Amino acid sequence: MADQGGSQHGIARTSRVRTEEQKLLEQEKIRKYRELEDQVRSHVSQNHYTPEVFQLTSRLLKLNPEYYTIWNDRRRLLISGLLSKPSVGSSPSRASPSSSQSATTTTPSAASSSSSSTATPPRPASPTAGTSGTTADDEVSTQQQQENDRDVLKSELNFTIPLLLESPKCYWIWSYRLWLLNLAIERLPTAAARRIWEEELGLASKMLSKDQRNFHAWGYRRHVVAQLESAELGGSSMAEAEFEYTDKMIRKDLSNFSAWHSRSKIIPRLLDEWKADDAARRAFLDKELGLIRDALNVGPEDQSLWYYHRYLMLNLVNFVGHPTITPAFTQEDRVTYVVREIEDIRELLEDYDDVQLIYEALFDYTLHLCQLEERQPDPEERVELAGWLKKLMVLDPMRSGRWADLERDTGLVAEVAALE
Amino acid sequence: MADHNVAEEPPLAISAHVQYIQRLDKRRDEYEYWLTEHLRLNGLYWGLTALHLLGHPEAIPRADTIDFVLSCQHENGGFGAAPGHDAHMLSTVSAVQILALLDAFDDLEKRGLGKAKVGEYIANLQNKTSGTFAGDEWGEQDTRFLYGAFNALSLLGLLELVDVDKAVDHITQCANFDGGYGVSPGAESHAGQIFTCLAALTIAGKQEYVNTARLGRWLSERQVAGGGLNGRPEKKEDVCYSWWVLSSLQMIGKTNYIDKDKLVGFILRCQDTEKGGISDRPGDVVDVWHTLFGLTGLSLLDYPGLEPVDEVYCLPKSTVYRVLGR
Repeated sequence: MADQGGSQHGIARTSRVRTEEQKLLEQEKIRKYRELEDQVRSHVSQNHYTPEVFQLTSRLLKLNPEYYTIWNDRRRLLISGLLSKPSVGSSPSRASPSSSQSATTTTPSAASSSSSSTATPPRPASPTAGTSGTTADDEVSTQQQQENDRDVLKSELNFTIPLLLESPKCYWIWSYRLWLLNLAIERLPTAAARRIWEEELGLASKMLSKDQRNFHAWGYRRHVVAQLESAELGGSSMAEAEFEYTDKMIRKDLSNFSAWHSRSKIIPRLLDEWKADDAARRAFLDKELGLIRDALNVGPEDQSLWYYHRYLMLNLVNFVGHPTITPAFTQEDRVTYVVREIEDIRELLEDYDDVQLIYEALFDYTLHLCQLEERQPDPEERVELAGWLKKLMVLDPMRSGRWADLERDTGLVAEVAALE
Repeated sequence: MADHNVAEEPPLAISAHVQYIQRLDKRRDEYEYWLTEHLRLNGLYWGLTALHLLGHPEAIPRADTIDFVLSCQHENGGFGAAPGHDAHMLSTVSAVQILALLDAFDDLEKRGLGKAKVGEYIANLQNKTSGTFAGDEWGEQDTRFLYGAFNALSLLGLLELVDVDKAVDHITQCANFDGGYGVSPGAESHAGQIFTCLAALTIAGKQEYVNTARLGRWLSERQVAGGGLNGRPEKKEDVCYSWWVLSSLQMIGKTNYIDKDKLVGFILRCQDTEKGGISDRPGDVVDVWHTLFGLTGLSLLDYPGLEPVDEVYCLPKSTVYRVLGR
């Protein structure tokens, strides 16, 4: 029920009156689509895992990339025929699996597979393996198999790119690509598999340059990076490069919270990997606070910026039980930093006195300060808190229930009332 | 966005919506009908739940519906989206929800493969190491599937088939500093994913892991000037978030954190009052998915004439009460 596939987003409502001719054309389109669908189903139900059927699934998926069963059929076709079937003499340049591979083997179990396992069945025996019996030949055939598999996987990855560009939020395409990439790890030598995964990082960047907030692409990127870092692909940490990537994305658009979020997730790791000492950590925090302050100076209405600011502030005030930027900060350091942030935010008010998020930050961080110092707000602070809360109630009546809760929880009812 | 229809909103066009949903399965002369067959069972759940909330549960024949649902079941117990489509978690959850809605678990026992087999299919999709769930045998993992599993298994009375604690652990790893949850550990908070994680924790009786203060704040910040809700910071509003955000606020008891009247207005302005159905934003093409989530939103907002919806199961409260006694 949480699947958005097939729902309409952002398409204008029009009074669709179809002419007779349009209706006929649509009927013809439906007829062709269903005919193609019937063909695929009939072949698959009889376990006809042939290159011709493979081509039929290509045609059908181009018409309807949301058709998950056909993606599954395609997986079965690959597993039971097209992969690891070296066809001697086929040129890599025309290595489209549907045109250059001769695969007629059928695997009876595949169509009715009910296993919950994601493991790939054993690859079919190569026609040359086992006949010669010599080690050298085995090596050759293994190499041939791997080259074949690499070509098949690459061709398959290429097939999905135009579909993904057209439907960048289609879960099935993303998950099919990951399945292919995992096969690359299983079947190819490490270096070859790594090259394929590296190209995938390029694709993730391309998708994010087209839509900077696409959470499929961000999640995919995280996964690809984790794999590239893994021992399985002979990798090492990419935290630094990924941190720079968030930098690049933020500079392109300060409002890109996906990039800010990603940054918040990379920071603890990055500092560990740098083996950053206390001074380096302090300098890092200063730099981040400087970056976000500059951004807030030009965009104080932007939620994305305040969220990241909150993240940095939580590093200062909420430091028990999870990694933070400056774990060695003393109580005094923490207080100094929070006080300085509050002062800077006050200055923002001079230019923007009607921006709700500024008042909210002042309110929030003043309470943080009291929490750090393990005390209740003093009378002067109470007056200020009440003033900011009153401002929030006026500027943002939509969230009046939240302001009422804050008023109650902080015991400021009388002070706010006095401002009426 | 044009402002011309912002000033006034039309009332809920109940009969137009009922007719819109009834007609959905009669649009076989439209190419789109065939392109969306992979969502048939999900669509049936969306439409049928909408009809129940609208007070017209009989608008789609009960017996035919049950027959269709059972015709989608595979030998492994799972359901595909339509006959001939592979079994998947999402369509299996829809099947269980429809059968719950129609009080038809008996039919599943007598004419289908039985509850236990369905439970087994779902339980087999749990990742024994991480505790999360895959959508099917091919392995895509997402907190949507975890919620779906908890939803269906608890309705079937079979939650004990899975490792609930491990799944709960996984959800806590998806939590972010802003109080929200993402699709997997490390992912950005997203209102849809927050719903799935929060509802799963609620079913498991583990809401104590939720930072309700931060989450309530984040959720309240989803309401934009026009009254609609968005799903992430600095994104456009969309009717479907009237469900994901509002149901989450309801689960943590903070629906007063947003302006309900303005949200009602936004949803009502997204209706096609003539032909029925609700769209993502005013003036856009309607679909059954946004129609359901517009209606569930209005139901949570106590809009008159709608049956109350359960914020965890996305079924009428009366259904959940009948099945679970709560």
